[in-house]
Amino acid sequence: MSQKKISIRIDGALVDAREGQTILQAAREGGKTIPTLCDLDGITPVGGCRICMVEVEGIDRALPACTSPVQEGMSVKTTTPRLTQHRRLTVELLLVERNHICAVCVSNGHCELQTMATNLGVSTVRLAYNFPKLETDLSHPKYVLDHNRCILCTRCVRVCAELEGAHVWNLFSRGINTRLTADLNGKWGDSKGCTGCGKCVQACPTGALSEKGRAVEEMVKQNERISALAQRRGAEA
Amino acid sequence: MQTLEQPRLDIGEQAFVDQVIADRKGRPGALLGILEAVQEHHPNKYLPMATLDYIASKTGVPLSRVFSVATFYSLFNLKPQGDNTICICRGTACHTRGSRNLLQSARLSLGLGLDDISEEDKILLTTSDGKFTVRTVACFGQCALAPVVEVNQKIRGHVNERTLQREIETIERESE
Repeated sequence: MSQKKISIRIDGALVDAREGQTILQAAREGGKTIPTLCDLDGITPVGGCRICMVEVEGIDRALPACTSPVQEGMSVKTTTPRLTQHRRLTVELLLVERNHICAVCVSNGHCELQTMATNLGVSTVRLAYNFPKLETDLSHPKYVLDHNRCILCTRCVRVCAELEGAHVWNLFSRGINTRLTADLNGKWGDSKGCTGCGKCVQACPTGALSEKGRAVEEMVKQNERISALAQRRGAEA
Repeated sequence: MQTLEQPRLDIGEQAFVDQVIADRKGRPGALLGILEAVQEHHPNKYLPMATLDYIASKTGVPLSRVFSVATFYSLFNLKPQGDNTICICRGTACHTRGSRNLLQSARLSLGLGLDDISEEDKILLTTSDGKFTVRTVACFGQCALAPVVEVNQKIRGHVNERTLQREIETIERESE
């Protein structure tokens, strides 16, 4: 590897990084944790969830760690009162946007959104719930899509496009009306491109995509297998 | 919600779409131009699902991506348009200058009723005779002229209910 070595400070500690890495990658290699929701190791970061925001010395606004490249002499703070407040609000907004009812969710206890809320101490939300009327797509023989639990992280979109190459998923419309769609807003089960591999299900951080036949708390996602697969693919290439 | 409708494109339409795609082959971001040209070609200025399906299969762009692009931009319509389009801006600046009243008066005077007024969703309503379509957009970028209404691709600024009414009457008179 001829990449230039860079050393940055994360929460005061010196961390070695390579040129071209993101703050998040450098932090992970250096044993530091930055909370994330939309990021999944091995697939392209999008900077969509805004949970991984960090403060960089000399820059007023917070930066997303997953898409900001490291620079020599950077000093990064991962937890400050401002960032915690920001992360809490982000999680609260995600919770009010759809109908996240943990008690009846297949992913209860194994949900990244729920874990994030717990870790940040979000036990209640300060905003009015949106209560959108959303559908559940049961048309696929093996899997279920429940829009009520989707946080639009686009992990499924990216996994399907980058690892499976099927390009079944995408988001459509915009703003608060944004939804996940299979093909031309058809039923998932009717999608000709879907191979039924289930990578999107394993990558999904919440119970939005799950395996059929799972009861409450039974859906445990294995997104480390997605990352492992991505790593193997990277090594082969 | 739109679902995939089955009827295929007729041969003439197919040939036109093929030509449009061929003209833009290899250009990055060609999809936007293709969608725009195809929509402009359609007599009702919209993109039927069968067309989107055909474009996706010819360009190799995933179906989900075509749908994503076509629904993200308010320029693209997935429902047939009337002969005349009245597009009312519902952006913040226009809203504060009374664009909701404009929308309501346009709907009332064209007999579109005020049912299902959903504030969040963008509205697209066509009269039953197919003469007028009333729709909303988020912003034209002409906030200094608020409230802004686009009547048949022409931007009108500082519109009030009376001038909007006059525009509609002019169109009605001309089409007779």
